[in-house]
Amino acid sequence: MSFALAACIARAELRGGLRGFWVFLACLALGVAAIAGVGMVRSAIEAGLTDQGAVLLGGDAQVEFTYRFATPEERAFLDQIATKTSEIVDFRSMVVADDVHVLTQVKAVDDNYPLLGSVQLEEGDLASALTGVVPGAVMDGILADQIGLKLGDRFKLGAQEFTLQGRILREPDSATGGFALAPRTIVKTKALAQSGLLEPGTLFDSSYRLLLPPNVDLAALQSTAEAKFRDSGLRWSDRRKAAPGVARFVDRIGAFLILVGLAGLAVGGVGVAAAVRSYLEAKIATIATLRTLGAKGGLIFQTYLIQIAVLVAFGVSLGLILGIVVPLALAKPIQSALPFPAQIALYPRPIIEAAFYGVTSAFLFALWPLARSEKVRAAALYRGGLSGGWPRARYALAMLVLAALLVGGAVLLSGTVNLALGTAGGVIAALVVLALAAWGLIRLARSSARLKALRGKVALRAALASIGAPRAETMQVVLALGLGLTVLAAVGQIDSNLRAAISRDLPTRAPAFFFVDIQPDQINGFRAKLAANPAVTKVDSAPMLRGIITQINGQDARKVAGEHWVLAGDRGVTYAAAQPANTKLTAGQWWPNNYQGPPQISFAAEEAEELGLKLGDQLTINILGRDIIASITSLRIVDFSNAGMGFVLTLDPAAVAGAPHTDIATVYVDPGADPGAEAAILREIATAYPNITAISVKAAIGRVTEALTAIAQATTIAAMATLLTGFVVLIGAAASGERARVYEAAVLKVLGASRTRILLSFALRAALMGAAAGIVAIIAGGIAGWAVMRFVMDSPYAFEPASALTIVLGGIGATLLASLIFVLRPLASRPAQVLRSQE
Amino acid sequence: MTETILALQDAWLTLAGNAGRIDILKGITLSVARGESLGLVGPSGSGKSSLLMLMGGLERVTKGRVSALGQDITGLDEDGLAKFRRGRMGVVFQSFHLIPTMTALENVALPMEIAGVKDAFARAKDELDAVGLGARMQHYPAQLSGGEQQRVALARAAAPRPAILLADEPTGNLDSVNGAAIMELIFGLRDRHGATLVLVTHAPELAARCSRVVRLVDGRVDGTPA
Repeated sequence: MSFALAACIARAELRGGLRGFWVFLACLALGVAAIAGVGMVRSAIEAGLTDQGAVLLGGDAQVEFTYRFATPEERAFLDQIATKTSEIVDFRSMVVADDVHVLTQVKAVDDNYPLLGSVQLEEGDLASALTGVVPGAVMDGILADQIGLKLGDRFKLGAQEFTLQGRILREPDSATGGFALAPRTIVKTKALAQSGLLEPGTLFDSSYRLLLPPNVDLAALQSTAEAKFRDSGLRWSDRRKAAPGVARFVDRIGAFLILVGLAGLAVGGVGVAAAVRSYLEAKIATIATLRTLGAKGGLIFQTYLIQIAVLVAFGVSLGLILGIVVPLALAKPIQSALPFPAQIALYPRPIIEAAFYGVTSAFLFALWPLARSEKVRAAALYRGGLSGGWPRARYALAMLVLAALLVGGAVLLSGTVNLALGTAGGVIAALVVLALAAWGLIRLARSSARLKALRGKVALRAALASIGAPRAETMQVVLALGLGLTVLAAVGQIDSNLRAAISRDLPTRAPAFFFVDIQPDQINGFRAKLAANPAVTKVDSAPMLRGIITQINGQDARKVAGEHWVLAGDRGVTYAAAQPANTKLTAGQWWPNNYQGPPQISFAAEEAEELGLKLGDQLTINILGRDIIASITSLRIVDFSNAGMGFVLTLDPAAVAGAPHTDIATVYVDPGADPGAEAAILREIATAYPNITAISVKAAIGRVTEALTAIAQATTIAAMATLLTGFVVLIGAAASGERARVYEAAVLKVLGASRTRILLSFALRAALMGAAAGIVAIIAGGIAGWAVMRFVMDSPYAFEPASALTIVLGGIGATLLASLIFVLRPLASRPAQVLRSQE
Repeated sequence: MTETILALQDAWLTLAGNAGRIDILKGITLSVARGESLGLVGPSGSGKSSLLMLMGGLERVTKGRVSALGQDITGLDEDGLAKFRRGRMGVVFQSFHLIPTMTALENVALPMEIAGVKDAFARAKDELDAVGLGARMQHYPAQLSGGEQQRVALARAAAPRPAILLADEPTGNLDSVNGAAIMELIFGLRDRHGATLVLVTHAPELAARCSRVVRLVDGRVDGTPA
């Protein structure tokens, strides 16, 4: 009966329309739309990756080896299980044309490539582009332009000459290659026979793409291959998860953006709470009348809960429609902007996810003001005002349950426990800090308004009095704007710090070049040439092999130590007879000179601690298909932050005696040297040793910075959506305060204040609140930035003042703008009319 | 000869409402002498409050002229009128119209601060003491009763020592005890500072305390030919 009656009253109340609820609806719709939109795009990419799995992989399955080709036995097995096989070799090399030397990522292919899909060239087809008396090659247009090569021009890879016969538009299997330091060149493998680039010990990956019979059991086949060639370093992947790297990246970035979207919903929640509060304040007379007619608190609560539920349903639906329609409408531009396939369509999961977040957060924030509705007494008809104080225990409990649901849902749905908990903790902490700051600001403004020093400064005093007054919208503005700015500040601080770490700090300590694939018989000549160059300040070199840690103390390494980057794929391994000059041991001892006993390892100390390794532990390292079981006999400090040479694993020389290897060298150039010095070094080495590949650190930094910029842009867009919600709340606060401003302006005019003075007072009030929100945002964003840099990036943090200043100015600008939109009416109104209407 | 402090010459006030344009005041000609206390009476809707607003420059005439303290204020804009009022006119409203975000003391000091008076707060304190609110200076309007709020409004109007005190039904929202107290204060202040008082009221006994009473009917001074 009570509920039916409540529904009946609620229906009558809602007959007045949704006027006054646009902030409520906009906040909710914006937050839900952002989350649904991001989720839709993420699902579209996931569907694209699954559907196009085989094409992306270049076959139904792929087997990879590091540093070597498949053995005849392995190849025979692959040919036996597949209906068609294609061999691909991937390595870095230098394109040399006249005096220009540029790094490229070479893909050497056989006649069967590509098994699926096709390589799109600007003109012609791949098969004919790779033929010719002087072998043909195709390359990324950016690379060709960088070197100045036109179609038909000649260039060299190692000792082999090629003719450029095509410019690559799209590779079907590019998404599976991971992060590339250089643009692509494709040639035939057999054309490299005389190039000197695939000599024993050089760094390359070989992969074998397989077309399999229909309905083959991929899992069974994988088990068979891995069992048959256990410990050979064979790596299997298939169309079930064609691009795990991309999938993981999309999953992570998608989860991250959705969490940023959740911060946006929290900002919107502040607007929702404010809208519910002001709606109920406007309804006090109705509630008090219901009270005089005998309505109990429960009936009143239900009446308004039903109304809020209707509004939540409307707002969430609006957000979902936006979140669905926008990606669908922008399907073409989104697909062409993404480097991987995306099937933009209607996916239920992200829609359900967004609806869940929207409904839960809306009720979480609406419940507090709603709970106070049942406290309104009949006497409010005479005295007015919502009573303050805490809601009753059952409502507080309901809010706790909703908060737990929201956080639990975020953890479950995002799949990133730490990130979700971190974000939830961050948002809650930021809200608490902002609420405390707003409370402090109100107190400070109230006491400052009474300072003798401010007497006579009417505009400032009136502004402070307005900020510090009871029932002022200070709390609402500082919370909403502050939270939006906090997200932006955190993103800004992290982005600036990463860029600073990469572009400012690194080059001062980093080498100018890495040289790889130096054959053992070339290293002395190589060093001699560089020693003679006055621009070169230091050359470090070390032999390098590549190996995979497969076991720790006889157990599967990943099962023992979990997912750690040291165990993910192959690592550079070096050997040294004596302890290198700059190496500092933290535990154990280096092996003696001419040591010939069981293999020993010196392991990087920090990584050993992370992996739980200690002296005496035995590692099984697969190098070129051969297992080496070695004991850790020392731990040493390895600094990876200066981009110098850093090997996690150093073996005693006898352990890898006879294994083919090359040398790697880092070359440091005097920062004050002639600007052309680096190019001269590159030219000299490339001319003398065409097989040696140079990687310019500056160029590599450029590629990393490009990738970071793209991620930062995506994050900034998500953060801007949060800020936009914050701005909507600000507009809402300014709009709801307009009536009060009109009244205030009218009284001030009666007392002799000019419009300029009134405007100045309103502007000062907005600027002070904006600045307070901005300053708190910088502190909270700085703490978040520090935490991410320190605990996630493992990098030092420095406060970035430029980004911070922008945030404060942005805060002031946003509140000024929102406030000034609603200042015209107060300024223009005539006092007599305004005051008469209040009589 | 007595100096004229307020004068209206054929003053018309026409306002636009939902039902079209309405003539609120229809050609009022009236003058008030310095030191005089003028009671404006008449039925509801007769235009008493509107006439007071014209005198205070809170409303501008549609036609005719208004002058105060020897200055023609007819053509002044909003800022010009606000500046003119500073320190010269005090207004007391039926609904008090205090600024809710300011304490009683701040409300009283405000017009003097706007006028650039150096010891605004000291004078505001004295004025609040004078109306019996010395103990409630730091209270916000919402924390005061109706009678107390009107005393604050009165102190605010009187504190700058204005030459003209305009009061629009100042006891209209108060009970008889509080109303009587407020009227005592208003007349006391007028006597103490020698201000000219224009009082809009429905109460005949209050009007009787004024030195002259003007009755308005349908936007005209009673007795003026229609």
